Amino acid sequence: MTLLALRGLSRRYAGLTAVDRVDLDVPAQGVHAVIGPNGAGKTTLFNLISGLVAPSAGTIALDGRDVTRLAADARARLGLARTFQAVRLFADMTVLENALTGLHPRLRSSLAAIVLRTRGFRREERNAVARARDALAMVGLERRGGERAAALSYGEARRLEIARAMAGAPRLLLLDEPAAGLNPAETVTLGTLVRSIVDAGTTVLLVEHDMKFVMGLSDSVTVLNFGRRIFHGTPAEARADPAVIEAYLGAKVAARLQGSAHA
Amino acid sequence: MSVPPWLSDLFWTYQNVVVSLGVNGLLALSMYVVLAAGQLSLGQAAFMGLGAYASALLTLRLHAPFWAVLPAAMLVPVAFALLVGGPTLRLAGVYLAIATIGLGEVLRAVYLNVDALGGALGLSGIPEAAPLWLIYALLAAALLVFWRIGRSRVGRAMEAMRSDETAALAMGVNVRRYRLATLVASAALAGLAGALSAHSTDFIGPNDYGFEPAVSILSFALLGGIGSPIAPVVGAVVLTLLPELMRGFAELRLILNGVVIVLAVLFLPRGLVAWRMRRRAA
Repeated sequence: MTLLALRGLSRRYAGLTAVDRVDLDVPAQGVHAVIGPNGAGKTTLFNLISGLVAPSAGTIALDGRDVTRLAADARARLGLARTFQAVRLFADMTVLENALTGLHPRLRSSLAAIVLRTRGFRREERNAVARARDALAMVGLERRGGERAAALSYGEARRLEIARAMAGAPRLLLLDEPAAGLNPAETVTLGTLVRSIVDAGTTVLLVEHDMKFVMGLSDSVTVLNFGRRIFHGTPAEARADPAVIEAYLGAKVAARLQGSAHA
Repeated sequence: MSVPPWLSDLFWTYQNVVVSLGVNGLLALSMYVVLAAGQLSLGQAAFMGLGAYASALLTLRLHAPFWAVLPAAMLVPVAFALLVGGPTLRLAGVYLAIATIGLGEVLRAVYLNVDALGGALGLSGIPEAAPLWLIYALLAAALLVFWRIGRSRVGRAMEAMRSDETAALAMGVNVRRYRLATLVASAALAGLAGALSAHSTDFIGPNDYGFEPAVSILSFALLGGIGSPIAPVVGAVVLTLLPELMRGFAELRLILNGVVIVLAVLFLPRGLVAWRMRRRAA
């Protein structure tokens, strides 16, 4: 079953086509990676999928529903969550309140119920806090709930961003360079975390530069170069694909590698 | 009731101040609700004026009872908030401030030039129908409502959009709807404050709701802070009492406001009441 379907998706800026007629099917399960050299259009692709940037052409379907014209917040309410390349937490709010904000679309109490503090509202808040705490426990921040988000270290802040995105149990989670700036030990922990996210039933689509991380974790790999999709397949296939090697290493090195492989 | 005569004297001497404290508290909350959602609106004085004029005209021309006048005084500014808010909320921060300043100036010109609205003479002979207890009861109710809303998904969403609008969108917060809703709430509160003050003072004029009061209302929240709904009300109390304590320097009032804004921005970025309320109810 296809969870996310991109068809001919393009984004042009004056004189530059950042994303150029990209087709992509992300099945509802597993970890899927988008890789490519710097400037290949990966982050623009993520911004298109999450609705922060409007496409110049093409369509985006989530779970069979055309969401191309939906605003970012409406897509989030359909179960699309994301993190950002540069961490974007709500700095003055506590760690727990950040995670609670991820549950926003799931909370239904009316203004009247909130003002009157009805039993239903209080029950909903208690459940929300419990779920937010579960999300924090998943990333190992369960003891930090009462601290200001701004007080977290870089690695912790990245994990809180994932917890905030996961609190609402999204269908699809977009991770924009989750391993960037992490040390090797933290990267291993992140890999385990991504696995547990998938086990919890959320499909993961990630953009990443750390090849070892991507290759060991992903069920499928899509390679972008100059905004175009030049490859889609398994990590093993990607490693052997001449076009992918050329995009990363340049034509000369690629030819030499091919030569030595045949020799 | 046996109120000692000295207390009674004190009250009658300072009745204006007692009314102003309550009205300014409501105005501070009307500023708070937009700032808490990360918007800069300078239309609170204009909304207050709409409430004051609507209520005064209903009372003077139609002899409407006071209980019917209050809701109308809220609905008229709400209609204008929808009118101004709809098109400007798509734009980035400062445009709303400019549009709302514009609204205030346009309305001032209208009050001044339309004879049916009293013209330059304003409207006088408004009965003092607003009981003091009602002003404070409404202020207390508004505080309680904002307190409770602040500790819910709505309060979290408002702080989230103030902190990082893009991230708030990614969390599913309907930012545009929240902007319009907070502007509408702000207009309703300011209109209410306008009606209460008009029905406590006998006279209102076109210059009572211009740029100067708009800045004063902003300075309530700047001085007090927006970490909780109590903070801007504290700011309003301080800025209402301060000029009374410095009666001799009445001309310095505006300068004082300016100095307070500059000092608050420089040295008290979180306001006098820096404490931040918890944003959950469980």
